[in-house]
Amino acid sequence: MDLLRALAPRRTAHAHCDIPCGIYDPAQARIEAESCYRMIEKYHASSDEVFRARCISVKEERAELVKHHLDVLWHDYFKPEHLAQFPDLHETCWKAAKQASVVKRTVDLEEAKKLLALIDQVDTMWKGTNGPAATRLPA
Amino acid sequence: MIGPRALVRAWRARVAVAGRSMEPAIADGDWLLVDPDAWRVRPPAPGALVLLADPRAPHRLLVKRVHTVFPDGSLDVRGDAPDRSTDSRHFGPVAAADLLGRPWLRVHPLRRAGRVR
Repeated sequence: MDLLRALAPRRTAHAHCDIPCGIYDPAQARIEAESCYRMIEKYHASSDEVFRARCISVKEERAELVKHHLDVLWHDYFKPEHLAQFPDLHETCWKAAKQASVVKRTVDLEEAKKLLALIDQVDTMWKGTNGPAATRLPA
Repeated sequence: MIGPRALVRAWRARVAVAGRSMEPAIADGDWLLVDPDAWRVRPPAPGALVLLADPRAPHRLLVKRVHTVFPDGSLDVRGDAPDRSTDSRHFGPVAAADLLGRPWLRVHPLRRAGRVR
C-alpha cells in the first residue's frame, strides 16, 4: 500500500549470507580448466571449421567458469588468517584468474597448461588450510 | 526517554532488514530505527547490536551482534543464526570506528513493534 511505500526505509541492511553452504574445492576450477585444455587440443586436431568454432565458443564459457570458481574461493573460502600461512595468497589467486582470461583469448596449449599449474597452487593453499576436511563432505 | 530530535535522527537512519542471519531477534523484512551515534563515544559491549558496512563490499550494510571485544578495541561480530550468517568468522574483526550505529527499535511489522535486543 502507498503509505507503507512512502514510509519504507531507503537503506537495506543485510542480515544474510551467500548462503554460504561452506562447500569449496578448487577441483571445480580445475575441471573447467582441463576441459579448456582438451578443447584446445581437439581444436588443433581438427580441420572442420564448424567444430573448431564450437571449441572456441565453449572454451570461452568454461574459462569464464574457471574465473568464477577461483573468485568464490578467494572471496568466500580463504580467510585473513590464511595469509599468515600463505603470504602470496592474493597474488596467486589474481594470477590464476588472469591466466583464465588468457586461455579465453588464445588456442595456445601452453597457456592452458599454465592455468592448470596455477590452479594447482590454489589447491595447495586450500589443502594447506584444512580445506578438504573443513569444506567437503566425506564420501 | 528519547528526545524528539534523536527520534527523528533514528527514523532517518532506519533500515529494512534483508535476510535471516539475525533470527530470531531480527527477522527478514523488519524495519529498524537506528541510533547513528550510539558507538561514536563509547564502543559496544558483547551482545550489542551493530550496523556496519560489509568489509568485503562497503556499499552493503550489515546488522550483526558483537561477539568479542579484543584488547585493541577491534570487534568480532556474528549473526545470531550462525548457519545463515557471513560475519567476522569470514571477514575478520572490524574496527569500532567503522560501526554505523545501533539498531534499537523495530517499527514494522507493527504487530512485532518494539525494542530489539
